[in-house]
Amino acid sequence: MERMGGVIGGKFFSNTIPVLLSLLGVAITNLPFSILGSWIPSPMYALMPIYFWCLVRPDLMSPGWAFAIGVIHDILSGGPPGIWAASFVATYAVIDRQRDAFAGLSGWGALLGFATAALVACTTQYLIYSLYWWRLMPVSGSIKEFAVTSLLYIPVAFVLAWIHHRFVGPLRSEF
Amino acid sequence: MGNGTWRIARSRGGAHLPLVIVAALAVALILIGKAQSSLFDRARADIMDWMRPTLVATRAPMEGVGRWLGSIGEIFVVYQENLRLKEENARLRQWHNTALVLDDRIKRYQLLLHAVPDPVLSSIVARVIGRASHPFLQTMILDAGKANGVKPGQAVADQRGMIGRVFLTGQRTSWVILLTDLNSRIPVSVEPNTDQAIMAGDNSPMPVIETLARGVQLKDGDQVVTSGDGDILPPGIPIGVIVTDGSRYRVALFADQTTAQDVQILDFKQKPEHLPTASQNDLPVTAAGLAPAAPAASQGLPPPQLQPVMPKPVFQPSATPQAQSAPSADDSDNDVPNAGDQ
Repeated sequence: MERMGGVIGGKFFSNTIPVLLSLLGVAITNLPFSILGSWIPSPMYALMPIYFWCLVRPDLMSPGWAFAIGVIHDILSGGPPGIWAASFVATYAVIDRQRDAFAGLSGWGALLGFATAALVACTTQYLIYSLYWWRLMPVSGSIKEFAVTSLLYIPVAFVLAWIHHRFVGPLRSEF
Repeated sequence: MGNGTWRIARSRGGAHLPLVIVAALAVALILIGKAQSSLFDRARADIMDWMRPTLVATRAPMEGVGRWLGSIGEIFVVYQENLRLKEENARLRQWHNTALVLDDRIKRYQLLLHAVPDPVLSSIVARVIGRASHPFLQTMILDAGKANGVKPGQAVADQRGMIGRVFLTGQRTSWVILLTDLNSRIPVSVEPNTDQAIMAGDNSPMPVIETLARGVQLKDGDQVVTSGDGDILPPGIPIGVIVTDGSRYRVALFADQTTAQDVQILDFKQKPEHLPTASQNDLPVTAAGLAPAAPAASQGLPPPQLQPVMPKPVFQPSATPQAQSAPSADDSDNDVPNAGDQ
């Protein structure tokens, strides 16, 4: 019985890891300092777990979670509500439709796959902001954000893969 | 990055919201946020108050890591930096003395001119517990709110100059829109000619000078301060210096808003101009040369009849005691600056 409880507890813990890591990404993005320098936008850390687990375990990273993570991002960043949420949901939709293509990538191809997702997120944000304020926004910030997010995915992906194998992967008994 | 090294789950399960509904929710949230921003702001302030302890707790270790990472490169230039700082310190000491002398002189001039005193400025020191640096958003979260007397619109500055202004307050937290944010617009004054302008952020490190009067030419290095127009911000807070950028003017900010950790929230209280308390000598009757009314007048006695008062001659023989108290023409020019109004 205890063993069963442990298994259930462990499963619950492993199931929440993707969402918790995304929330950690939201928190890191909005911390009051940047290790990348003053004028480089914070990378979209929250997008990395969303992309990763949307590919490998969409049951743990549902559209609803992507939306909720986006809403929390909106709250913490102080911007107009719904923009990050819409951006993450749009990215999720693209990944969801092209899952087979994205999931088959490895090495630099995987980086290219994530860069595509980041591009969708940045473009969605840019379009919504331009519509929201009814003027064309400068694109330089979005380009920087896209570049820095894509580059940082390389080390972060290794960490996510390790966490997946170590904590999330072994408990996928139903697959 | 080997996404293809493990099996891919094909199903999201049946309990999840469909993508279409979630997308519709996101769009609805944007529209509601645009129409009823105050609703979302209240919720945001409440949530941030609730999250404040977590942000404060995570701030310290992360700040330590940030400082450590930032100091790695400085190790190699510490000697040159020390020499430079010593030289700068000596120069600043000279300027400090000059500033004290000038400050005293200004106070004396203000006293002589009966100038309206500068507005009272008190401040609250707050810590930065969150900072959003996104392509279209430059905001900051401080750990002081309504409970500490923070109100929307107040200026936020560090020891070097202005950083931004408060736009939303919770009980224990407040949000600051930085001067570089796309939506930041503040009235400024460019010294030395006090040219009035609007400084607008465009998410670049240097905000742009807008709506400058036609024909006004600014020079690199001209100082930019808050103008205080509209009584929203206190006048005279240093902001930065003018830098020419092609046909436009930009402002190189004094404050480093991206690294500031402790800031001041300036509480701008426009001091009401109270009239001085009337003394016996200021009463019109006394000024007209009559004796003040006896205290008995207020004890139910009939009011005194008004008598026409003959104007006094300006010059009196010096023997009379009244003439000794009357100021000469020269004296009245010197001591009663507003005599013409009487």
